[in-house]
Amino acid sequence: MRAFRSSRLARPLALIVLAIAFIVGMPRISSVYNIMVMDSAILYFIASLGISILLGMGGQLSFATASLMGFGAFMSALYSKNLGVPSALAIALATLSTAALALFLGLALLRLRGAYFTFATISFAYIATSIYNNYKPFTGGADGVINIPTLTIGQWSPGDLYGWFYVLMAVAVACFLLVERIRGSYFGRALASIRDNEIAAQTLGINVFATKVMAFTIAGALAGLAGALYAHFSTVVSQAQFTFDISVNMLLMVMIGGVDSTFGTFLGAILITMLPEWLRPLRNYMRLIYGVGIILLMVFMPYGLTGILRSALGKVRGKALSRKSDLQGGT
Amino acid sequence: MQTFLQLSIIGISMGLIYSILACGLVLLRRATGLLNFAQGDLLMLGAYISFQFLVKMKWPMLPALVSSILVYALFGLFFMFAVFWPVRNSAWPQAALVCTIGASMILQEAVTLIWGSVPLTTKPFVSGTVSFGNLKLQNQYFLIMATGVFVILLIFVLFDKLYPGKLMQATAQDKYAARLIGIPIVMTIAFTYVLNNVIVGLAGYMVAPVFIITGSLSSLQYKAFAGAIIGGFGDLRGAVLGSLIVGLVESYSTYVTTIYKDAIVFLVLILVLIVRPQGIFGEKIADKA
Repeated sequence: MRAFRSSRLARPLALIVLAIAFIVGMPRISSVYNIMVMDSAILYFIASLGISILLGMGGQLSFATASLMGFGAFMSALYSKNLGVPSALAIALATLSTAALALFLGLALLRLRGAYFTFATISFAYIATSIYNNYKPFTGGADGVINIPTLTIGQWSPGDLYGWFYVLMAVAVACFLLVERIRGSYFGRALASIRDNEIAAQTLGINVFATKVMAFTIAGALAGLAGALYAHFSTVVSQAQFTFDISVNMLLMVMIGGVDSTFGTFLGAILITMLPEWLRPLRNYMRLIYGVGIILLMVFMPYGLTGILRSALGKVRGKALSRKSDLQGGT
Repeated sequence: MQTFLQLSIIGISMGLIYSILACGLVLLRRATGLLNFAQGDLLMLGAYISFQFLVKMKWPMLPALVSSILVYALFGLFFMFAVFWPVRNSAWPQAALVCTIGASMILQEAVTLIWGSVPLTTKPFVSGTVSFGNLKLQNQYFLIMATGVFVILLIFVLFDKLYPGKLMQATAQDKYAARLIGIPIVMTIAFTYVLNNVIVGLAGYMVAPVFIITGSLSSLQYKAFAGAIIGGFGDLRGAVLGSLIVGLVESYSTYVTTIYKDAIVFLVLILVLIVRPQGIFGEKIADKA
């Protein structure tokens, strides 16, 4: 690991340069349509960060992300449209509401371990879909909610899609830093120890249940934030945007980039969102390509793009980094 | 009373279909530790293949059934080598599960590409209805029940009385030790996959006339998951009992609501999970956390 220590400063620097180049450069080279796709990629990235914490750090596989995202979106629409709360405040309130829901859900479901927990989140996703589809006062049923006010802070509003790009990027960078901070904190390490060996973590005095619930709540808050932003970004939300398939897509984003890397999640979010655009002639075969892609990914690079990058770097330095022993043991 | 009877019969026959799916899940889980998220898609494929033989190629009943079973068996083998085999020693423990999610997407798309997105139908294998007073029930439901009971009994006998079942159990408990005493691990796992696909495909064959054949048939697997968990994953009796409970709950919930039928089933599942996380019978091979 010594080789990596010397790059401790180089890595954040490289990331900052990349981020600035991306924020400055992207709007200049993108058409209106592309920037819209990019905006939604950033929204998915924010929600996927929750998966990155839960799965990458904590080893808990959840399929509730899209449902929680939907809850955030519908809550924010409810606050701002029906109750007349200013949109920025509505987003904050919706994020908190989603975090509260995730907390209750976590308290109930995280009593289960491993695969049972995964199934329980799938059940939740199906209940949520059924309610979103049918409970009209909250979600508008199949038609969705329309005419949600756009984001305004005081007098200022993002205006067009380019304005939204900067807003979303700012939120994304803030969330990115938050997640990176969590990774190095006591909480992040506790979570990683649970992923690697739950019993060992327990003997170390870590409150396994509370740590998992906390992770689930943070993931819920991130999903809720993304959903709330989405509601004001597109001004129209409907249940079709928050189905089980979307959760699978977000899981893919995390895995394609590398399950243990925050930056990888960003790459994954952009790749998965842009892929249908780049491969437009193959549009009808998109799910097929994803499916084959997932299997190939799992067979040849289980740690995603950043995993490949890492092992390539390791080979250049003449060191075989054993990621395997690093990450083993999650259920 | 008549509605009750009707709902009970529908509930039990659906419960038996879920049982078959759930038994397959448990078999795979025990033999390979795999949770198969493509289970429902295998059922859907089974229904489509029955359509291919019966309607497209207009084969008579018996040859169609035999060749369908043959196709299911071959596909089970293929499924194992495509989805499970490459990642069996993967560094990431969830790789195999994620692979089955990929397989599920592929199967969904493949059937749409091959058979189109228009829902298809096959004729019931036994025509006519049985009536109790005012109440009419398609005979097909009784055929489903008979097939379900037959398949489930077959699995039980295989597991408890016959040699291949013992091999499968030994492989499930400890692969290394099983290999030491000369059990052909690869053969056993392959046999499990073939068996799973045959019974699940058969379930698809049977439900095809009752439901319309579309990609959404695969969502039956979530009820089977629910059943397997309620019964206690890893236990065949539990899987059957849990699935029957799910089928009946689903059926009776139409008394109250038809819209939130699925929600009620999953609500029951979550309640069971909270009250008794290990399910009715508990799990024999503990979930290694």
